[in-house]
Formats: sequence, C-alpha cells, structure tokens
Amino acid sequence: MRKLMLVLLILGLLVSWFCGVSFAGRTVSVLGVWGGGERDAFMKAMEPFEAATGIRVEFTGTRDLPAVLTTRVAAGNPPDISVLPNPGQMQEFARVRALVDLGSFMDINKLRNEYAETWIDLGSYEGKLYAIFFSADLKSLVWYNPRAFADAGYDVPGTWNELITLSDKIVSQGKTPWSIGLESGAASGWPGTDWIEDIMLRIAKPEIYDKWVNHEIPWTDPVVKRAWQIFGQIARNKNYVYGGPATELTTNFGEAPNALFTSPPRAYMHKQATFIKSFILKYNPQLVPGKDFSFFPFPSIDPEYGVPALGAADMFSVFNDTEEARALMRYLATPGAQEIWVAQLGKLSANRRVNPNAYPDDLTRKAAKILANARTFRFDGSDLMPAAVGSGSFWTGILDYVSGEDLDSVLKRIEATAVDAYKR
Amino acid sequence: MMTKRTGRILSRVLLHTTVIFIAFLWLIPTVGVLVTSFRPAQDVGNSGWWTVFENIFTSARFTLMNYKLVISRLGIGRAFLNSFIITIPSTIIPLVVALFAAYALAWMRFFARPFIFMVMIALLVVPLQLTFIPILYIFNKLSLAGTFPGIWLAHTGYGLPLAIYMLYNFISGLPEEIIDSASIDGASPFYTFLRIVLPLSVPIIASLVIFQFLWVWNDLLVALIYLGGTPDVAPITVQISSLVGSYGQDWELLTAAVFISIIPSILVFFGLQRYFIRGILTGSIKG
Repeated sequence: MRKLMLVLLILGLLVSWFCGVSFAGRTVSVLGVWGGGERDAFMKAMEPFEAATGIRVEFTGTRDLPAVLTTRVAAGNPPDISVLPNPGQMQEFARVRALVDLGSFMDINKLRNEYAETWIDLGSYEGKLYAIFFSADLKSLVWYNPRAFADAGYDVPGTWNELITLSDKIVSQGKTPWSIGLESGAASGWPGTDWIEDIMLRIAKPEIYDKWVNHEIPWTDPVVKRAWQIFGQIARNKNYVYGGPATELTTNFGEAPNALFTSPPRAYMHKQATFIKSFILKYNPQLVPGKDFSFFPFPSIDPEYGVPALGAADMFSVFNDTEEARALMRYLATPGAQEIWVAQLGKLSANRRVNPNAYPDDLTRKAAKILANARTFRFDGSDLMPAAVGSGSFWTGILDYVSGEDLDSVLKRIEATAVDAYKR
Repeated sequence: MMTKRTGRILSRVLLHTTVIFIAFLWLIPTVGVLVTSFRPAQDVGNSGWWTVFENIFTSARFTLMNYKLVISRLGIGRAFLNSFIITIPSTIIPLVVALFAAYALAWMRFFARPFIFMVMIALLVVPLQLTFIPILYIFNKLSLAGTFPGIWLAHTGYGLPLAIYMLYNFISGLPEEIIDSASIDGASPFYTFLRIVLPLSVPIIASLVIFQFLWVWNDLLVALIYLGGTPDVAPITVQISSLVGSYGQDWELLTAAVFISIIPSILVFFGLQRYFIRGILTGSIKG
C-alpha cells in the first residue's frame, strides 16, 4: 500500500512537470482532419509563421473532426482555430455564435481582391465572413493513361456522346473502359455521390442543384432520377466497369486507378478528384504525372450547362478570439502560406494571387486553371446535406443502386430519411 | 473396452479439430494484418495479403519499411510515455476506490446501502459518449481539460461501475466466518480489509487490472476529447490514428503501428494471465 502511494506521488510530480512544460510560451491550437503526409505538409506551412512570431502552432489531426469539434464547442472548450468539414457546419456554428467574425480583424476588401466571389460567399453567414478557404480539390476530372490511349488510338472525349461512343468502342474491342471503386470503409459509397453531383450540374441549372442540396426538390424529382440513370448507364453496366458491379463495390477508391496502369490496361478511365494523384503515385511510383497519367474534364452532358466544376475545400474558422489566433488567421490567408501547402500536396489554392509556379507539376496547374476558369462552381453536395443524408442514406443508396436495386425504391428510401433530417 | 477407448479418442480428436479450426478462423484477420505490415506499400495497393503465400518463393517482397516509418514519424518514445502516464494511474485509482467500495458494500452495514449499490449497477448501462459534453464543461471550468489528472478522473469514473460490480461479487462471496472471526479477534474493518480481504482478492484484482489496462491503453476517443492531440500529451492511440491521411492514405502504416502498440498489453496479459480465468470464474459464479 505504501509503495502504491509512492508510485502515485511520483507520477503526480512527473505530470505536473509535463503540464508546466506544455503551457510555456504563446501557442495557438488548431484542430483539423489531416494526418500523415498532410499533417507534415501543414506543419511545414506553419514554419515561417512560427519563426516570425514565436507563436507555436499546436495541431491536432483527427478524422473524427465533426464529433470532436461539436463536443468541444458545446462544452465551451473549442480549439482556437479549426478546419471545418463543410460550409453547412460553418453556418451551424455561426448561428449559435461560436465563431469569430473575421471582419473584426481582417481586411475584407483585400480578401475580396484575392479570393473569388464563390469562396467569400461560401465562407459568409448573414453578411459576415466567418471562414477563409485554404485550399481546394477539384472533383470533375476523368483520369486516363495517355500512353494507353495513344497505343489504342483513342481520342480524349469532349462531350458526353463522345465519352459514351468511346466507351462502346472499347467494349467492342473486348476491353473495359472504366474502373470504379466505391469501397471506403464506413464511408463506402461516397465516390458515387461525386458522380451524381457532377451529372446533376450538367443536366440542370446550378439553382436546381442548390434546391436539390437544400431539399427544396425531392429525391424522387425527375431531374434527380435522370442523374442517377445516367450514373447507372456506366456504373451498373457490367461491360463498362472492370469486374462489373461486384468488383466495383469491393474495390477501394484509392486502389481503383491502379487498373489503368497494368499492362495491358484492365481499364482506361477513372473519375476522381485531384487528390487521387497522391494515391496513383504511391502505388505506382515509377509513373510521371502528365506523361503516364493525366486527366480531362468530366464532359458536358446537356450543352447549355457547359462544364461546371465540382469541388471540396478546406476552410478555417476562429473559435477563440486571441491575439495568436488572429495572427495565424492573417497568415493562413496569405498566398505565401498556401504556396507551401499546395506545393507539398498538389492541392489547389483558393487564393488568386498564389504563384502558379508553386504547383508541383503541370497537371496540378492544369487543374487549377480549370477551377479558376469554371463559369459555375459548386461545393460537393453531399458535404452540404445533413449527415443523415449526405454521409448516410446517399452513400448507402449508391451501394444499393449499384448492387442492382430498383432506382425508385432507392430514391424513395433516401427521400424518407431526407424528410426527417431536414426538419431539424 | 476397446470401443469405449476409441470412442473417447475420437471425441478428443473431434474436440481438438473444432478448437483448432475456430482458433484458426479467429486468427485469420490478425495474420492478415501481420503479413501486410511486412509488405511494401506498392504491393499492399496492388494485391491482397494472401497472395504472398502463393508467391512466397517468387515475387513476394517483404520489408521493414512500415515499422521504420512508424517509429520515426510517431515520436514513439513520447507517445509510449504518455500512454503509460495515462494508463497506470487510470488503472490503479479506480481499482483502489472500487476495492474500498466493494468491501464496504459487501460487509459493512450503513444507510441506503442497497440503493447505492443499485445506482452503481445502473451506471453500467450509461454510454460514456453521453457524458462527454457535461464532463468536458466541468473540466474546462476547473482547468482540468488537456491535463493528465483530468483524464485519470475520467477513466476512473468510467471504470468504477464495472470494477465495483465485479469486486462486490467476489468479496461478498468470501466465507462469513473469516470476517466474523477477524472482528471477534478485535480487528477493525480497515484492518480486516487490509490483512484478510485484500490478499484473498488477488485473482479478481488481476483480472480487473487486465480489463482496465487494456481498455485505457486502447482508448482513442476519451483521450482525444479530454486531452487533445498535441504531441506532449497524446497517447499512442491518438498518434497512431494521425498517421493516416484524411482520405485514409497510408493505412498500411497502421498495420505496423498496431503491432508496436500491443506489446505492453500483451506483456500485462501474460504477466497476470494465471490469475485471469480464476478471477473471472469466481466473480461470475458467486453472484
């Protein structure tokens, strides 16, 4: 018993020493989703800030961000600055006055100069700016292997009809046009939601897309149904997709592009966002971006709607109005900080003034150009919907539909959960 | 005679085959993780771990790269230290409190004893996620958020109901005569507890240590909420989870990381194993 007391005492002393160390100096706590290489890249982008100000950035990365952040905000113990998973979440926090109005310490006019209107709008709530965008991922891309295309004599399709003609041609030669992977652990199905969103933007006005996201039109609406049918035309076609729906459902989204780089290629095209580049390079380090793999924009379907851009982005908001948090926020908005970050990861910057040379390769520059020039940009819809739909029934609906369930019953089920979820 | 013996052997063989078969099934995922942890990242993405066995002498490649990367990226020394700083007090404190409580509930007469015991048992079914917001709120007011004493308290609270319940079952099952004769000989309740109840309870204490140690060592969410993830406080679970990118990149590092992180759990388990089964059985039967 006495020994036990001694052990406890020693531990107590040790701990008070550690606590003392961790609170020394000026710090700013940042919560985010990044881990591994992403966390390293973020810390690298923070180095100039730490060196210049002497403020230490304490970054915590967790993939449980929504749960951890909501808990900590509700308990009155939020991080100083946090990455927010999507604009919808930002609005929720702004509504309960958990966020600091950035206009109170940042030059809004300067921000308007440096950021496209879309980014300012997405970061605002009731006329006040609460979030700045750090970087973006462009989703409307189809990846292909230029060498394989050249060998087989295929041209990059510019319209939906050309895309389908090319797919049919590949099938008629006894090969497979598409590789799709929907598996992603508990988040399985999300790659399919990007398809639906991109197709929605190409068969209806952006306003209709917004209505769909806000549940002002039901999931059973003919436009939504048509988007799913177009998706099904490819995803449910066992000749179109490598391995058919069964392989599609069990292939990890990060491993799906590998089918493009076997010899002979198991498939020729793969739709995915800019971030997939890091997966391709990881599994196939010998490939050269731009030469061995490249992308073309997901083509237009109904010509009147053109080639809109769908994307997701990383946004920062301030929860504790401290000097340190203000300083870091001003730094995060600068092109300098974003240049380090995008150079490390191949993400796209949200700041217009970022030097294009900061991007690691031509491929990323090309994506940045597509994003900057898109007449219509929309944020990933499933990220904007309530979690019960956007990261719930929408995901599982994709899986059910691809595995062969009747479309009407899938849509009815999503609609039922949506009616519930949007009420709150 | 002959038939009886063959029958016995046959049933023995059947039993063993079944046991081995179930153990084999049970081990498959672990073997998969183990094999993956020695494969290069490229191969992990391009083929399943079971293909290693077909090509073991030809194309299968093995590497220690995953382990090297995990150890260099994790700041493993600090993470292990933090985990021990969290786990050891979080095991000892609830155990000590629960021992006193269980003894008092089992052998001392006081006001509202059954009621207090019932409340304890009822707490077993409260999901701990429900307590995050109010407790973090209190910790925040007391400046305990982000400190080790805070998380010790939290784990003590979460561990107590089960610990008290198991210890109560065991201690209340001790022969009444021993306790009575001790008090006739003039031992105070505290002395009885220290000299008689405690030594007799070693098996159940060992099982509880295993339970609580494993639970706290493997915990991710409680640490993430109350401590946060800065390197000077983050335990190994939090550090491991941040090896993986936001899209699940680099997951093959996890396979190596888990084998590193289970070492202390395995040591604790094997160290106390001989008490383990005994403790569980006694606790459960004499309910």
